[in-house]
Amino acid sequence: MKKMLYRWFDERLKLRPIKIALLDEAIPGGASWVYIFGSITLFFFLLQMITGMFLAIYYSPSIEHAHESIRYIMEEVEFGSFVRGLHHWGASGMMVMIGLHMLQVFLYGAYKRPRELMWLVGVVLFIITLAFGFSGYLLPWDQRAYWATQVGINIVGTLPLVGTSLLRIIRGGQDLGAMTLNRFFALHTLFLPWLLILLVTLHLFILRRVGPAGPWDKARAARIREPFWPKQVAMDAVGILIAFMIVAGLAVWFPAPLSDPANPTDTTFNPIPEWFFLFYYQLLKYFSGPWEVVGTLILPSLFFLILFFLPWLDRRKDRRPISRRFFFVGGGLFLTMVFTLIAISIRDISSLPTLSPSVLRGKAVYHELDCAACHRIHGAGEAFGPDLSYIGELRSRDWFIQHFKDPQSLVPDSMMPAYGLEEQALHDLTDYMLSLKHEIDR
Amino acid sequence: MKEHEGRRRFLARATGAIAALVGVTIGIPLAGYTIIPAFKRRKPVWMDIGPVEALRTGVPTELELVLSVKDGWHKTNKKKSVWAAKDSTGQIIVYSPICTHLGCGYRWVQKKQSFLCPCHNSVFALDGKVIKGPAPRPLDRLPVKMDGDRILTRYKEFKAGISRQIAL
Repeated sequence: MKKMLYRWFDERLKLRPIKIALLDEAIPGGASWVYIFGSITLFFFLLQMITGMFLAIYYSPSIEHAHESIRYIMEEVEFGSFVRGLHHWGASGMMVMIGLHMLQVFLYGAYKRPRELMWLVGVVLFIITLAFGFSGYLLPWDQRAYWATQVGINIVGTLPLVGTSLLRIIRGGQDLGAMTLNRFFALHTLFLPWLLILLVTLHLFILRRVGPAGPWDKARAARIREPFWPKQVAMDAVGILIAFMIVAGLAVWFPAPLSDPANPTDTTFNPIPEWFFLFYYQLLKYFSGPWEVVGTLILPSLFFLILFFLPWLDRRKDRRPISRRFFFVGGGLFLTMVFTLIAISIRDISSLPTLSPSVLRGKAVYHELDCAACHRIHGAGEAFGPDLSYIGELRSRDWFIQHFKDPQSLVPDSMMPAYGLEEQALHDLTDYMLSLKHEIDR
Repeated sequence: MKEHEGRRRFLARATGAIAALVGVTIGIPLAGYTIIPAFKRRKPVWMDIGPVEALRTGVPTELELVLSVKDGWHKTNKKKSVWAAKDSTGQIIVYSPICTHLGCGYRWVQKKQSFLCPCHNSVFALDGKVIKGPAPRPLDRLPVKMDGDRILTRYKEFKAGISRQIAL
């Protein structure tokens, strides 16, 4: 039956040459587990396309409804959390696989002549994937999305000469708002996918024309030649299965986050970018004032220039690592820097005090009552009354509550008036006082 | 050579099995994700449509209610009306406001003591029965509940044009 169908189509479409081109391409040196990362990247791209299309069934790209529509997907649609989880973790999976794929190409010197074009297209694919990550991050229109994008766009805004105009163009107007969300949505779901499909096709076309590089050991490459089908395909499939199971597991057990709806007036939110931008986010902290341009323009330009022109910088024909020591050391240093910055960034982020809502409300009460007219916290405010910088270590909850109700009952000669706080404000202010410590409870 | 063929077949089958496994793990959730919400029904809620005093025996009155409609993530309040009547036994009847013929809005004509649909001249009696015209079934009654002197109903609309009553 299968054979009959194949024959029927083959007679009309002349499938044999295509089959040979796609499946019977000889791999110098034979199939290897090292070559699976490109296929897994492609798999993740397909997964992103499929889950993305399905997310668009319920998502609404408007600032009034975006957050609510994502909440609806997460809480009310059957499998909604799983589908969004696949898309969320799939993005990370794709980044990891691109990283491993590029690393493999780098280690094998596979970008060398005559494969420069494949490498160039690959670098553009990598940049497009980063643009996918950045534009997709805004779409839920939650606090994380809003503030991380705010920071991201403002980095562009600091570029000399073109910064301000570029900022406007990316935002689509004066502020980050309705226009920004719509253009990010169009970019993420229409412009970028087509561009990526086109370039992936080109990437694979070049691969099929020029053939895979194979191992750097020429004798081995010449001795063993194995077709792509079925062994390499089976290895790719096993890799895909493992990668998919990890992403599916993450989607089930660690649902994609959704914080409160974006609130431009709430500046207490601490924006954290997606992990694959984290090292850059950390890097920027080391350049301020006139040096800012080093972080925002010079280093990124340098990085992409080196990446683009790598085949012409590392141009000796010999692909063995031993003859490319300079590039190995350079690559190693770069990766060490990236991972160190990621580690520092994660450490800093995890040591950030996360304030509970009641503490934030208490802080607001503190300002409303102008407590700083008499009290001082870390140098801010007057010093008529006791300094409150570490007051949370000295008094108990009951003490605060009693004291706010009737200060003189606990401190007879206190000048502090009883404010007659309502129950909610009383507890919020107490929570704020208790949070004033050397070590912040987390 | 034979062993080599067997090995090729095994690899091909393994690849096919993995493709099927991944396909099913993605495909089934995606199908459910797309289809199931389309078949969900809103839970009807009891809504206050006014006091009993608003009704005079034998004179149906159009009463308004505000229906808060959840359409997926979209929430809106829609104004709807129902026809409420008190018959001679004192029983309160509430009708869905659309004609059972093709869904037009009908009204009570006091002079003729009947409900008249202006679209195709279906005529219904106070108890909802078809007196004349093309309507395939009596007016659709909605459930009624009393809370003190307030009338409560659960708003529903039904498929028009057929003799069976099927809620939309």
